[in-house]
Amino acid sequence: MIQNIRSSGIGIVLGLIITLMFAPQGIAAEKPVYGGHFPYIVSASNFPSMDAHREVTFAVVQPLAPFYSLLIKVNPENPSDPTDFVGDLAESWSANKDETVWTFKLRKNVKFHDGSLMTSKDVKASFDKVIFPPEGVISSWKGYFPMVEAVEAPDDFTVVFKLKFGTKAFIPAVATPYLWIYKADILAKDMHWYEKNVMGTGAFKFKDHVAGSHVEGVKNPDYFIKGRPYLDSFRAIFINKQAPQVAAIRGGRALINFRAFPPKTRDDLVKALGDKITVQESPWNCVLIVTPNHKVKPFDDPRVRRALSLALDRWEASKTLSKIAIAKPVGGCVFPHHPLGLTDEELQQNIAGYSLDIEASRKEARRLLKEAGVPEGFKIKFHNRGVEQPYKVLGIWVIDQWRKIGLDVEHWVQPTAQFYATLRAKKQAYAVSMDFNCRGVVNPLLDITKFLSDDIVGNQYAEYQDRVLDELHGKIMKEIDPVKLKKLLFQFEKRVLDEEAHQLITLWWNRIVPHHSRLKGWKISPSHYLNQDLVDVWLAKE
Amino acid sequence: MYRYIIRRILLMIPTLVGVAILVFVLMRLLPGDIVEMRLASEGAYVSEETLDKERARLGLDKPIWQQFVNWMWGICRLDLGESMWTGQPITYEIGIRFQVSLQVAVMSTIIAVILAIPLGMIAALKQDTWVDYAIRIFSIAGLATPSFWLGIMIILAFLIFFTWAPPMVFTPIWVDPVANLSQLIWPALATGYRYSAVATRMTRSTVLEVLREDYIRTARAKGLWEKLILVRHALKNAMLPVITVIGLEFAFLIGGLVVTEQVFNLNGIGKLFVDAVGNKDYTLVQGLVLMVAFVFTITNLVVDILYAWLDPRIRYQ
Amino acid sequence: MAVDRQILEPSTPNHLAETKRSKWKQAVFRFIRYKPLGTVGAAIVLFMILVAVSAEVISPYDPLETDYINMFTPPDFTHWLGTDAFGRDIMSRIIYGSRTAMLVGFTAAFIGATLGLFIGVASAYFGGRIDLLVQRLLDIFMSFPLIILALSVVAIFGTGTEKVIMAITVPLVPRCARVVRSSALAIREIPYVDAARACGFTHWRIIVRHMLPNVVAPYLIMLTAFQGQAILLEASLSFLGLGVQEPTPAWGLMLQGGAEEYAESAPWMAIFPGLAISIAVFAFNVFGDSLRDVLDPRLRGAK
Repeated sequence: MIQNIRSSGIGIVLGLIITLMFAPQGIAAEKPVYGGHFPYIVSASNFPSMDAHREVTFAVVQPLAPFYSLLIKVNPENPSDPTDFVGDLAESWSANKDETVWTFKLRKNVKFHDGSLMTSKDVKASFDKVIFPPEGVISSWKGYFPMVEAVEAPDDFTVVFKLKFGTKAFIPAVATPYLWIYKADILAKDMHWYEKNVMGTGAFKFKDHVAGSHVEGVKNPDYFIKGRPYLDSFRAIFINKQAPQVAAIRGGRALINFRAFPPKTRDDLVKALGDKITVQESPWNCVLIVTPNHKVKPFDDPRVRRALSLALDRWEASKTLSKIAIAKPVGGCVFPHHPLGLTDEELQQNIAGYSLDIEASRKEARRLLKEAGVPEGFKIKFHNRGVEQPYKVLGIWVIDQWRKIGLDVEHWVQPTAQFYATLRAKKQAYAVSMDFNCRGVVNPLLDITKFLSDDIVGNQYAEYQDRVLDELHGKIMKEIDPVKLKKLLFQFEKRVLDEEAHQLITLWWNRIVPHHSRLKGWKISPSHYLNQDLVDVWLAKE
Repeated sequence: MYRYIIRRILLMIPTLVGVAILVFVLMRLLPGDIVEMRLASEGAYVSEETLDKERARLGLDKPIWQQFVNWMWGICRLDLGESMWTGQPITYEIGIRFQVSLQVAVMSTIIAVILAIPLGMIAALKQDTWVDYAIRIFSIAGLATPSFWLGIMIILAFLIFFTWAPPMVFTPIWVDPVANLSQLIWPALATGYRYSAVATRMTRSTVLEVLREDYIRTARAKGLWEKLILVRHALKNAMLPVITVIGLEFAFLIGGLVVTEQVFNLNGIGKLFVDAVGNKDYTLVQGLVLMVAFVFTITNLVVDILYAWLDPRIRYQ
Repeated sequence: MAVDRQILEPSTPNHLAETKRSKWKQAVFRFIRYKPLGTVGAAIVLFMILVAVSAEVISPYDPLETDYINMFTPPDFTHWLGTDAFGRDIMSRIIYGSRTAMLVGFTAAFIGATLGLFIGVASAYFGGRIDLLVQRLLDIFMSFPLIILALSVVAIFGTGTEKVIMAITVPLVPRCARVVRSSALAIREIPYVDAARACGFTHWRIIVRHMLPNVVAPYLIMLTAFQGQAILLEASLSFLGLGVQEPTPAWGLMLQGGAEEYAESAPWMAIFPGLAISIAVFAFNVFGDSLRDVLDPRLRGAK
């Protein structure tokens, strides 16, 4: 079975709508132009190291991805579709009947920037480093591959993954944008070499890096796709405050900020630069979650947690807050409108807090609070991260909504480092907190691990254990029939959000990227880690 | 004279050691640690075991006194160690940013001096007239306006009227002077205006003081032109405290321009500071603080030596 | 107390005949007449204190009340200074923000200056090794740039109004101590003090009765200067996200929210808090300047 996973109908239509609505120039119609220097903004100070296998921040991917290739990647022509993958170094791939053995056929004409040929041993060495890291090597992506038994390279251009069980989580995991293919010979000599150096197979060769300032790359004339890349060179500029970012774009010093801008900034740029600016928008694979600490009274009572969720008018917030914040789509635990997730109607009818009748919800919330013995005017300290978008904005909204069911809420905001310290302390350091779940490739099966028991996953901060969920997730991982899978996921979400109200989803993020209209060939995806290799990007003449 | 200098240099040492201890302790009081920041910050799940291994690699599992001794021993050999965040040598990390901060500091000081000395003198000459008030209002406005707000307004003005933004990447002045100056002149102006305020007031008050001195009255009685009097007598003596103030402010410009650097996106020491503290990068923060303290004490020393050389009365304190 | 009376009223021939209250009245009138700029500063300061105290009464709206329908409205008759990103009335937030500014400014300046006063005087009085040690300690704290020290304090103790006050106070203490110490040193050298010791006066009595009065002038000047610095520091800390937290109204916080994102499309969000800060700091500085001119006899004009 050739498994080039194609999208469901919804995905194609969504992709088309987004493309057509926000790219009035008609990206497909124009002919790419060769040449040009591409300056862009990376919204960070600098990166810790250059090794994407061990770092998790986008500050590594955005400036350095153009130097590397992945095995498979999200389709750059259709990046908003979370099920559409194409080969990068892989020409094609297939699986056996129960999806436990995956065979990837590699391209034969790929060269590293030093001229040597890329073969399957490089792919094997890279994946071994990630999945089976040797002593002293940190791999931040190991947790995505619990299903892999072994990686083999039977011949020079074939790589085989043997899995312990077939699962729908595997292919999206392989497309994770951090899994750059390194050179096996270098890894054999020094596993830490890639932390400070670059040697890849990407469309651009490394030119320069000034710490805290910028990264520069030039065109790779021997890139394995003839006729690519279009650009001559690029420069990734580190700017981590919004005011200079906007100034840079307005003044033409940079053409795009690959992370996102808030809605008001988009409006300002459009007003200022007119049709020199194109805006692309997409739901973002990030969500803000209200996390009640199950070990702190009265949040050990599911009625109280439900009440907190019922008070939030998500549909209204989606309309109003999206004007000032980078939050918009309403969804459950799974990426909004994903074929495996709940539809809007299913959410409205089945999950507490998603009903369109907010008055009834709030009445129910008050009733539950009374039943649970929570008095009127009960004081809550809401813990939040000191980042404006969208944490503080959503925090202010949450407080406002809870005031409407008679709670007295104080906003306890901490800078990022202290915020994490408090969450991870696990000594009931907080009562209710904001938390987030951000992923790269949309991979619902792995993305929902956030809600499993806290002795199984390390990033669940609500301090609860729910064996029913854990078992359910085990089944979900192994189910390869899409219809049965969807039913299991429905059960999972209902338990997390409704029956137990373990954690409350507020809003998913909305990625807004306004950029100079000169910049062509880049389509927005649900995550700022994806589609950064600049292979298809070109610049129109001024 | 030499004894004075040597005494001052010797007094620097306990100060710097004190700074070293203070920053060392301060850093370890901060909650959270760098390993979490780096590996667990964006929600990815990393096992506790992995975090501990990384802590061991960075030497964070050793007892505190041992970490301190290792670090101090490194300082004695002029080895500041490596940044815990990037693994690069600290001298390398600081060196890149120091270029930028130094240039901005020098340019700001020049602008401050150009503004302050003539303005201060005129204000003193015309004390309590409208000229004096105008100058004082102008200079106090410089003190009162948050310099980062001024910076934002400057950038905005350029964008609205010229659709022009300063370069966002630093090029050294010997590589491309136009790009270099067109990036740094604006933060230098915003900061220099602020520092000129302090210097203007100091100039004004010291010139006023000197103008009351007996020998000025004598010179006036002799019939010399007011201008000559000022230039020859008043200015020389009034410069001493002004030099002190300028010297002190200069030292603060290195590493103190945190917000201005953020606004103009300068890859300077202030930005490095904020990031390092945010990342809990102990070694980098320690190295930075020591460097800034060193610059400050040296500047103090130079200024005091200049002072003592010019005014013998001070030497014998 | 003979010293400062002389400074304030040089031309009164027979001060025994007048009551203390009319002497103060005379001093105030003289100040207004000869230091108009300083008077304006003092008036602005008084006005701000009044506003801060009566915030509940004069503020047109609740500063925390959000109004999603009226986000980003420019100044008009319903909202004199416009609204912000959440529809909150900016004028109300500035009025309540003056409370935060005054609170932070006064507390930090007062504690900082007073602590500095005691440390500086004690260090000057006891001299010798104690002085040397205190000097080194002061040097150590002065070597840290203002904002870095504040950063560290906030990072350790967290954010919030009390912590911000603490963070701002710490760097101010050594600066005041330094200045006070130089003034106190002058007194120390006078044989008067040794004579007093010989008579058996306690340290405390000598310090309070003889040294303190002479350092009152620099103390007051530093106090007013610190107000302005404290307000500016709060603005910087808030801009970096380390100061007072939302939704508490504070000028620095309003600047951060407004200046960053909306400086062009909703300039009133950044202009008014910026103006408020500038005017406040300006007033304190101008008042402090004039105070110095009055209290320091060497700087008074020929009049």
